[in-house]
Amino acid sequence: MEAAAIPVRRSSRAKRLVQPLAFMATPTALLIAFFLAPMLVMLGVAFDRGLLDGGVGFNFTLTNFTDVISDPLNRKVALTTFEIATTAMLVQLIVAVPLAYVIAFKAGRWQVPILLFLVLADELNPMVRIYAWRMLLGREGLINEGLMSIGIINHPIDALLFSQFAVTVVLSTSYLTYTVIPIYGAMKAIDGNVFEAARDLGAGWWTTTRRVLLPLIAPGIFISLLLVYIPLFTDFASPALVGGTSGYMLGNVVNDYVLEAGDLNRGAAMSIIMLGLSALFALVAYRLARINRLES
Amino acid sequence: MAGAAASPAGIRAPRPSGAVDDLPPPVRRSFGHRIRARLPGLAGGMLVAFVMLVLFGPVLMLALFSFNDSSIISLPWEGFTTKWYEEAWANGQARDAVTNSLIVATIVMVLSVVLGTMAAWGLTRLRFRGRGLIAGLNGSVLVVPWLIIGVAGLIFFSQIQVQLSLETIALMHLVVTFPLVVAIVSAGLVRFQRSLEEAAIDLGATQVQMLRYVVLPQIGPSIAAASIFAFAWSFNNFEISFFTGGFEQTFPVWVFSILRQSENLPVVNAVSTVIAAAQIVAVFAGWALMKRLSRSGEDENLTGLLTGGTR
Repeated sequence: MEAAAIPVRRSSRAKRLVQPLAFMATPTALLIAFFLAPMLVMLGVAFDRGLLDGGVGFNFTLTNFTDVISDPLNRKVALTTFEIATTAMLVQLIVAVPLAYVIAFKAGRWQVPILLFLVLADELNPMVRIYAWRMLLGREGLINEGLMSIGIINHPIDALLFSQFAVTVVLSTSYLTYTVIPIYGAMKAIDGNVFEAARDLGAGWWTTTRRVLLPLIAPGIFISLLLVYIPLFTDFASPALVGGTSGYMLGNVVNDYVLEAGDLNRGAAMSIIMLGLSALFALVAYRLARINRLES
Repeated sequence: MAGAAASPAGIRAPRPSGAVDDLPPPVRRSFGHRIRARLPGLAGGMLVAFVMLVLFGPVLMLALFSFNDSSIISLPWEGFTTKWYEEAWANGQARDAVTNSLIVATIVMVLSVVLGTMAAWGLTRLRFRGRGLIAGLNGSVLVVPWLIIGVAGLIFFSQIQVQLSLETIALMHLVVTFPLVVAIVSAGLVRFQRSLEEAAIDLGATQVQMLRYVVLPQIGPSIAAASIFAFAWSFNNFEISFFTGGFEQTFPVWVFSILRQSENLPVVNAVSTVIAAAQIVAVFAGWALMKRLSRSGEDENLTGLLTGGTR
């Protein structure tokens, strides 16, 4: 009904100017207002003297950071956190690599159901899962009762719950979905002929795994690390509910500063430190994943 | 890859004659022969069974003990009862918490699917200045831990003197959830060819017709998956709700505060069982929906979706 040339020109100009604005303005504004701005405000609060000065205006200081870092208790907690998160990560990787292999190459028609159950495991409410473990591991919990009733132990093992062990167990089962799926994705991309070539060249089972399989899935492993390690070391609910005093993690320290003590400045400083560690970790994992993908 | 999906036994089994008998047998031999020989199907099955037991066993026990006629959760089985469910239903706090979670998650799901799909379209199909920057901002939201976002939200709202409420929870959930939708839908958009869209326009389709009849069917499964994940991310979110909720409780915050104060309670078992059952139904219903929406049918989509999002 109109001449063809006009709408075409108008639409191409619209495409360049109006369309990006129409599609991107709201999402970007939201991110700036409620993601970037809170982060910047928290950064400001972390460098502010805050209540030390009666809380009026902004007074630059590094005290919050030096206080948080020099506190020996925090250092001990940081060490525990590192231990728990690293153990949980290793456990999940050790399970995830063979599991991903089984799903990708051996499961046949069970492939999709298994993946679906892994997704389901992630969708189940984490709080429900933590509670379920707490029920099993407790002093009168099912594991202790069960072991006593068949006579393996006489007294309940107290260390099962409210311990570093309990937190490690809960966290080792919390992010298996996100550990398996990137590795599975990397395995699906492998051309099966490389295994045959390795076999024809006389490589054994272990050599094939180490020299062929692992290098090819390395990018997937680094993505898993990126997705899983950061939530692991910043976890707060699991140590709070099953950790007791020996399973105390950095997330609990943040909670203590912010909600228990009402010390927003030190809480912010602690959060910024954890954010910095996350960013550093993410950067390294991402770069390693990229480099490895280029090589393979 | 078709061979990979078949069972190992099927590959080596004698073929019906006439099908592919002109192919020399060594070429059709399975790959990873040695690995397969050392790691027989049994071991794989046991590994899967063990993982499933660890992932779902505890939750099954939790469900079982919601029917035990005893106020402490331990072994002597006292008999079957549904009284904990009645008690849970009568528990005002529990009902409020679950209702709050449902409302927040529904709103967050709808808004993040709309915003996320818009942004995914903009980022994958339009050229404009600052595209890389915005994509980076989107991606960085997914890497920042929820604990940090929750604390930042708490500090931010207290500095601008906004009362913490369900609205602040929903707002913060939305901000962390729609970038996930962007990631999932972008992966869907990247996977199919733009030439289809150009062909539709060349054949006289309007922009809206092209979106409706060409793009939407292609990314339908991605949007379905994104909806499920968005709902779950909001419904399951503990850290952000905990820090930015003030006196309002969502379901995870309610469970947390109960467990902080007291021993394990059968009422929590009952509510948790209902929630878990609903989540199981939701995941399988969502999967069925995705299968219906995808044209090629079948399961390529689930695997493609899951792995696509991680790249």
